[in-house]
Amino acid sequence: MKIIAALVLCAWPAALRAQDTTRAESGVRIGITYAPGSRPTIGVHAPSGAVFDSVRAIVARDLEQSDRFEMVESTPDTAALRLGAAPAPSYLVVLDTAGAGASAVEVRLTTVGSGLRLMRQSVPLQAMGAPAWRRAVHRVADEIVRTATSTPGIAATSLLFVLGGRLVRIDPDGANQVPVGAAGRPALSPAWSPDGRWIAYMAFVSSGQPIVLQDLVTGRREVVPTTEYGLNITPEFSPDGRRLAFAHGTEAGTDVYVYDVARRCCVQRLTVGRFSDNLSPTWSPDGQRVAFISDRASSPQLYVMAADGTGQEVLGRFDFGATGTTAGPAWSPDGQAIAFHREVHGTPQVFVIDLATRSVRQITDNGRNEDPTWAPDGRHLAFVSSRSGGRDLWVVDLETGRLRRLTTVGGARLPAWSPLLSTSEERE
Amino acid sequence: MTFAHFARTPSSRHVLGVGFLLLLAACPKNQPTTTPAPQPAADSLRARPAADLAAAAARRDSALVVARRDSATARVRADSIARVERVGARADSVRAQVQRERQDSTAATPVASGLDPARAAAFARPIHFALDRSDLTAEATQLLDEKLVILRANPRLEIQIEGHCDERGPDEYNLALGNRRAAAAKRYLVEHGIADARVAIISYGEERPADPGHSEEAWTRNRRAEFVVTRGGR
Repeated sequence: MKIIAALVLCAWPAALRAQDTTRAESGVRIGITYAPGSRPTIGVHAPSGAVFDSVRAIVARDLEQSDRFEMVESTPDTAALRLGAAPAPSYLVVLDTAGAGASAVEVRLTTVGSGLRLMRQSVPLQAMGAPAWRRAVHRVADEIVRTATSTPGIAATSLLFVLGGRLVRIDPDGANQVPVGAAGRPALSPAWSPDGRWIAYMAFVSSGQPIVLQDLVTGRREVVPTTEYGLNITPEFSPDGRRLAFAHGTEAGTDVYVYDVARRCCVQRLTVGRFSDNLSPTWSPDGQRVAFISDRASSPQLYVMAADGTGQEVLGRFDFGATGTTAGPAWSPDGQAIAFHREVHGTPQVFVIDLATRSVRQITDNGRNEDPTWAPDGRHLAFVSSRSGGRDLWVVDLETGRLRRLTTVGGARLPAWSPLLSTSEERE
Repeated sequence: MTFAHFARTPSSRHVLGVGFLLLLAACPKNQPTTTPAPQPAADSLRARPAADLAAAAARRDSALVVARRDSATARVRADSIARVERVGARADSVRAQVQRERQDSTAATPVASGLDPARAAAFARPIHFALDRSDLTAEATQLLDEKLVILRANPRLEIQIEGHCDERGPDEYNLALGNRRAAAAKRYLVEHGIADARVAIISYGEERPADPGHSEEAWTRNRRAEFVVTRGGR
């Protein structure tokens, strides 16, 4: 028996390393080979002028950060391109003036090969530079991604995270970093409603640690009933936005509960831990299942259950005493995987488990890497990493392994990536 | 926020200590002896001695002027010292403000326990836990037994037990773990005859380390339960 345990202990890290076939970038393992040229090329062209420069810069960066294109220098002269006088990108984005008195910028997407115009949208220039205006430009970039690749962009989104006990939001291109909520009210574990209008988080107040719902449009806040007292942590909206799962701690342990947000009533208990901790619920996109963390078998591991609390089972094999503490699960938007972090030799690393095969893939290996959150495109993950010293948010593209740093604050925690946001959902 | 409340936090104790030293340094022999009124707020505590120190520095420098007959250099030096002190005082007051906001919004309001200093100190002594554990060690139960004696002798005393963790585990799991630690301490007290209603629990997870360090020693100190009197005895 002892020998078997020793073999498992020795073989386990080796198995993890064996998955690491290709190292795309230091500290990231994705296990596939990225061949340049396999992505469509795209060029963004604009007439000269400050207005065009800022729209062009935002659109080009969004397209680049979508990781779906090869960015190339380009000329708007499609005739010359067709004749082979210049290297031809697969797609060409052209900016132009539009509207009465040039009050808007028109964005056109064409294919160079056929000269087909695929898309035309315009961005009004009022309130240029304001967050809402930037979001409007991001939406145009997302429309380009959607039109060219039939997959959603992620530019018109926002991430919430915790900095110095305070909630902060930031756009995925690093702009608009602003605090959310009042100073001096420590908060943790932010979560977005699927329509992007509401956020939920855990607040520290003198009477306890309630779950707070905040309307981003009106600024109104309300406390989830039954969370006025005791420990209340890790809220997560169901994909239809009608329910809110969270963990409630008492003297008899911590359990997962569900609150009916739509009817503003009724709290249902999903787990019965009996002095164990059950927390960090995350919903499958169809709303039928909930994955969560439980330490019922000693070390905290990943479990899954039906949304009514039945059929609880451990998700992903773990070796008792060998598989490290597991935390921070996030169900992918396509439903096929769950990202989480797990301690490897005492240091947390980001993993993704494929739900069809139950195979586990280690994504990071440089520094501490924690609390992954999915972008709405299901291929980018944001997570907290200490690879640069202080804890900051980083974004990894799981397809190419490309990694970029999002924040430079040195103390970011617990990020939550929003769904795609529309104009009406913001208070500027 | 009360002065006593402020003085309770470790970092503010440091601020008070520095402020006191500065007050001493700023007390010259030939000054008319005016006793400064006690200042309740941390920032005014900081700002005043800083200004006094700057004045003292200027006075020291004016002695140099006589010796060297070089008043310009001394003035520049005094100004720069005063400037550094001013900036330092401002930064400290901002830090104190942040600290105060945090304390105001989250901490249980401590009250005079009515205990004599020795008992109050014995009661406030934290108990410690092993890594990722919430079961009570022999040392912890011994400390809890001391608290039992005090709780039995002061039947009106009501308390809050705060569960804390070191920084290593997952942030959110640590809140649950801290809750379990506080609950374990409470369970021991209740099993030994203390009324359930006299003991409240709260978890701070890894959010409030007793020791801000990142060493094994700091972690050991931070895996703890603290005991706060919320209603006085006698």
